[in-house]
Parts: sequence; C-alpha cells; structure tokens
Amino acid sequence: MSRTLTRRTFLIAAAGTAATMARPRYGAAQPKATITYWNGLTGADGKVMDELIDRFTRETRVRIEQQRLPWAELYPKLQVSVPAGEGPDLVLIHTVEVPHFAYDGVLEVIDDGMATGKGFRGEDYLPATWQGGTFQGKRYSLPLDVPQHVLYLNVKVMKEAGLTGADGKPKVPATRDELVTMAKKMTRGDAFGFAIGTLNPGRYTWGFHNLLWQNGANIYTADLKRAGVGDPAAVEVAEFWSGLGGALGIAPPANANCRDAFIAGRLGMWLAGSWNFTGLRDAKVDFTAAPVPRLYKQPIVWSMPHQYAFPKPKSADRSRREAAWTHIRWMTDQVAEWTLKAGQVSASRKAHGDPRITADPVLKTLLAQAPNWQVGQPTPKWVAAENLTRPVIDSMYTGQKPAKAAMEDLARQINALPD
Amino acid sequence: MPRRRRRQTGTAWLFLLPGLVLFVVFRLYPLLEGLRLSFTNARLGRATYQYVGLANYARLADDTRFAVSLWNTAFYTVASTLPILAVPLLLALALNRGALRNVLRGVFFFPFTLSVVTVGLAWLWLLDPVVGPFNYYLRALGVPARSWLADPSTAMWAIIGTTVWWVTGYYLVIYLAGLQDIPRELYEAAALDGAGGWRAFWAITLPLLRPVLLFVVVTHVIGSFQIFGQVFVLTGGGPGDATRTVVQHLYETAFQNFFQFGTASAMAWVLFAIIMVFSVMQFRLLRGHTEY
Repeated sequence: MSRTLTRRTFLIAAAGTAATMARPRYGAAQPKATITYWNGLTGADGKVMDELIDRFTRETRVRIEQQRLPWAELYPKLQVSVPAGEGPDLVLIHTVEVPHFAYDGVLEVIDDGMATGKGFRGEDYLPATWQGGTFQGKRYSLPLDVPQHVLYLNVKVMKEAGLTGADGKPKVPATRDELVTMAKKMTRGDAFGFAIGTLNPGRYTWGFHNLLWQNGANIYTADLKRAGVGDPAAVEVAEFWSGLGGALGIAPPANANCRDAFIAGRLGMWLAGSWNFTGLRDAKVDFTAAPVPRLYKQPIVWSMPHQYAFPKPKSADRSRREAAWTHIRWMTDQVAEWTLKAGQVSASRKAHGDPRITADPVLKTLLAQAPNWQVGQPTPKWVAAENLTRPVIDSMYTGQKPAKAAMEDLARQINALPD
Repeated sequence: MPRRRRRQTGTAWLFLLPGLVLFVVFRLYPLLEGLRLSFTNARLGRATYQYVGLANYARLADDTRFAVSLWNTAFYTVASTLPILAVPLLLALALNRGALRNVLRGVFFFPFTLSVVTVGLAWLWLLDPVVGPFNYYLRALGVPARSWLADPSTAMWAIIGTTVWWVTGYYLVIYLAGLQDIPRELYEAAALDGAGGWRAFWAITLPLLRPVLLFVVVTHVIGSFQIFGQVFVLTGGGPGDATRTVVQHLYETAFQNFFQFGTASAMAWVLFAIIMVFSVMQFRLLRGHTEY
C-alpha cells in the first residue's frame, strides 16, 4: 500500500515536531536524579511550592527532597552542615544572608559564564535583586522573588473615620505628618491608626530599616567600616519610632499581633510585608494596597529577595548539580505561577508583563514599587547587626530608652562585632 | 579479689557499659569540648581558630547584656520557685482524696503534654493587647487593658504565670505520688491525739514530703536557670532586654550573632558553674532529715 504525503499531513507533522522542539527539555539529558532542597517557606507559600515541585518532578523526572524549617533555624543548620559535607544540593536564602555565607565559605561561587549558559542574565532581572546575589564581586546566588513592604489600608476602618475619597477608596498619606494626622483620626480605645510590622511591632527591624533608608541612613556607613546608626539621620528616625510606641499614640503596643488587629478591624493603615496579602484575601478583609508612603527624603521600599544558592558539597556530583540547575531554570520559567499563587513578585522581569499579574491590583502595586526597592548592605555582619538592633528599637518603642542614647548604644554594639 | 567477685564486678561493668558509652559520647565529651572551645575564638563553620586563653570569660565581665540576662534569670528563678512549689502542692492536697482524683489529675496534667512553643503561642494570643481575650474581659469588667508582655514591669510575671500554668500538672503528679506514700496510720494516730488538719500538714505531710520537695526544688531551679522556650516565643527577650535570659543570650551569640561559639561556650560554662553551686547548696540545705 503506497502512502502519499499530503500538504496537510506535512504541516501537522511539522507543527507537532516544532512544538516538541520548542518545549523546554528540562529532563531530556537527565537520568532520574534526586536532589535535596532546603527552604524556609513555612507559610502558605510552602504549599504553593509543594504543588510546583510536584509538577516539576512530573515534567522533568527530577525528584526533590525538601526540608522546610523556619528561616531562623535553617541558617544555623546550613552553617553547621555544609562544612561537615551534609548540606543540601540547593537552598533558598534571603539576600542579606548571602554575604556572611559567602564570607564563611558555605556557598559555592556561581561562574558568570555558567549562569549565562543556563540562561540567567543580569538584564533579565531588576538591578537590586540581581546585585543582591553577589559579594565582593563574585556571584553566589540567583534571585527568585521579591518579598517587600507595602501599605495595607483597611477600607472599613478608614471609611468610618471619614478617610475615603469621593470614589469610596481610602486616602493614601503622602507625608509623615499626613500619616500621623490620618492615624490619629482612627485611633481610639483598642483601635489604632497605623502600625509597622506583623508580630511585635516594637521589634520589627525590617520596618526600622525601611525608615532608615528613606531618610538616607543605614546600619553601616557607605564604606561599611563603622556603624551608621548613631548619625543624625538615623536618630531622627529613631525618634519617630519612639513616638510610634509612645507620644504619638497612633500605633498598637509592642507585642501586639498587627495582622490579627488589621483583620479584626482595629487597625487602619498597616505597613507590612507583601507576603501577608494572600492571607488577608483568605480572611475576606476589605482592604486595598498602596505603595509605601514617602515618610522621609526618598520613597525607598524595603525588600529582601529570596535567592537560590548552591551550598558547597563535600564532593562534586555533576548530575545532582545539573538537576538543581534544572529546577532553578524551571521555577524561573514558571515564576508567573509562583507570583499569582504565592503572592511574591518575581525578581525576573519576564513575568512582569503577564496580564494575569498586571490585572491584580496588589501585584500591580508591588510591581510599581520596583524602582524604589532597596536591600540590606553587603556585609557579612549585617545579620548580626540586625539581631543587635531588635532589642534596641524595642526599648525605644516601649519607652525604656531615649532614642539618641539607644542609637549610640546600638552603634557601640555594632562596632564591637568581631571580624 | 576473689575470682567470683571479679566476675561479679565484670558483669556489673558490662551492664553499665551501654549507659556509660552514651553518657561519655553525648554528655561528657560535648561538655569537655565546650570547655575547650571556651578558650578559643572558634566560630561555627570556620575550620580554623586560635586559643585566646581567658579572653572570652573576660569579655563576659564587660558584656552588660550578659549581666542583664543573668539578673533576669536569677529573678525568674527566685520569683517562680514559690508559685511552682505551692500551686501544685495545694492542688495535690485538694486532689489527694476524692472520687474525681484521676480525672482531675489528667485535666491538670494536660498542659504539660503540650510543647513549649504551643503553650507560648496560645498565651501570646491570650495576652495580646489588641485582640487577646484576657484584655477583652478586663475591659468588660471596667479594668484598663494593658500590654502584659510589652511592659517591663509585667512581662516577666506573665512568663512566670504561663510557666506555672504549663508545669503545674507535672509537679502535681509527683506530689500526689509522694502523698500516697505517707502511711495513713500516722494521720489516724495524729487525729487520735487531737491534731487538726493544719497541724497534721505541718507535722506529718510536709516533713515526709521533704524528698519530693527537694526533687521539685532542685529540678525547678536547674530548669529555671535554663529557661529559654517560653521567653523566646512570648517576648523574644523584650521589651528591650527586660526578659532576656542567659540561655537566650547564649543561643543568640552562638547561632544568630555571627556564630561566636567560643564566647557562647564560655557563657555555657559560667551557667554550668552557677547551676552547680545552687544545686549543691540546695542539697545541703534540704537533705538534713531526709532519708532515701
């Protein structure tokens, strides 16, 4: 029986072949590898990661053994296990952890040529996120997404205080004075106008950093040689921080759960992490999100991208490393899904134009903040300095120490950190 | 030594060996390794380090936060001892007789089956200054609400209250076991002599509970010096450093503030010495008339 190749048959076959070729062949060159992957995604985002990893395994045949534990436990564990040769193949860390892990030789250097060869190029990412993966000129990690601050506005609370416009939308404060004035209108009894931070606002270092950065101050001076928290710009922020917990009378007491207060309608304006917004939707809170207001000199937005890194293995295993690369590549390609489900804006620009993302008002707000993102300073001492900062800002918030003396004390402690 | 006795001794050592090996590997070796590290500038994850003599101990003398932590730990230990001795004892006396003894013992023991994190998170919510039920009912009663865990004057007391709630069931069971061991005849004889309940408590119950009291005091004091979980979850050591304890300071030095294992080991040894001194003192004070 003879068969003739019709034009239609040819076109269908060609289209089919092209579609097969065009599809990323993540697992094509791989055997069935199994890699270990540690992360601290203990919230709702962990479930989303599980779903995506299941899909990844189905598509690529690469199995991932996840170990998920709180970030505060993950980092010491990484510090101990990697020198002992017991580290994972892949780890997700915060940007501020990169310098000290790199400094201590916990992370492997990622060769620029290797990264480019795998399709990771700086121009595809937003600068603050891409730069955050480097330390002393070498790359140690690749950014995934950008947890950041945003201002949540409780529609019900603001409406009751007469702080909505003609369109029924909450007004957004443009200055520090405006924020305080608006907050005072909403503060009465056990209801408060404004708060920074999720749990225990007095100890919320990330909020304090955001204000410092807006005022042009930082934990260390620009040359990273000494603490910058005793400088006048930092003290000015510290005085506002003290006022939040005290004289201004607009914020909940230290140790309050601000998220619960916002959900319960006892908090009007809440400056907090972007990771909260999916939970607020689940709780059916009527809220809107606005960019972080410019309370000082510049509209800086605190951010702390998650970064993929390769802990140093005891002995090189090419197939496992390749499998880890495959996973990073796959997640980067699926980052729009991650953004939509986990609520974390991607570090890569690729998903930013996705109509499903731009149609979401909160994600749109988060994306619009991108030019103002700032991350912690690239010093191995950053995390230690942050841990020293926590009780000091708490002591100011609770009125135990005056701002200037507290900041001078903090500067002394930071300067005394060992090399 | 006669052969039979030698064989008996050998057998005894053989039985002891598994326990001894575990003790040496998991207790003694880490303890001594910690002592060695306390004389170095070791940092977790770093392969090399130098011996620095007593520098870490000298540094502790200048560490004001360590001094604050020591003071807070001592305050917690002293302030929590009486309620932790008295509350379970009173409950044990009340529950010693009665039909519902077993049920109530289970009810009071239940909190102790919870992990410290669960207990901490539950109380964190209960005491929340804005949405917590505790303040809600206070307001309903016309009492002004306050931030119990964020006020330096109440934060440690809130931690003590939480701990008492958590461990009462455990000590209650121990007290009940001690009370069951006291012969009934003694109470009957005392009653015949005209002794009332109060007199019987002072003359019979308390003296015969002395070994149990010793156990409770010693284990509680050792545990108090090592308090960490409740503080970590409830206050994080705050407000400021108002509830910061030695173990928290040690933990943060070792695992959060640049992984300074040398300094943290020195802290651990200072704590060990303090606990040792207190334990010896307690044994000497309380063992007087105790028969084991």
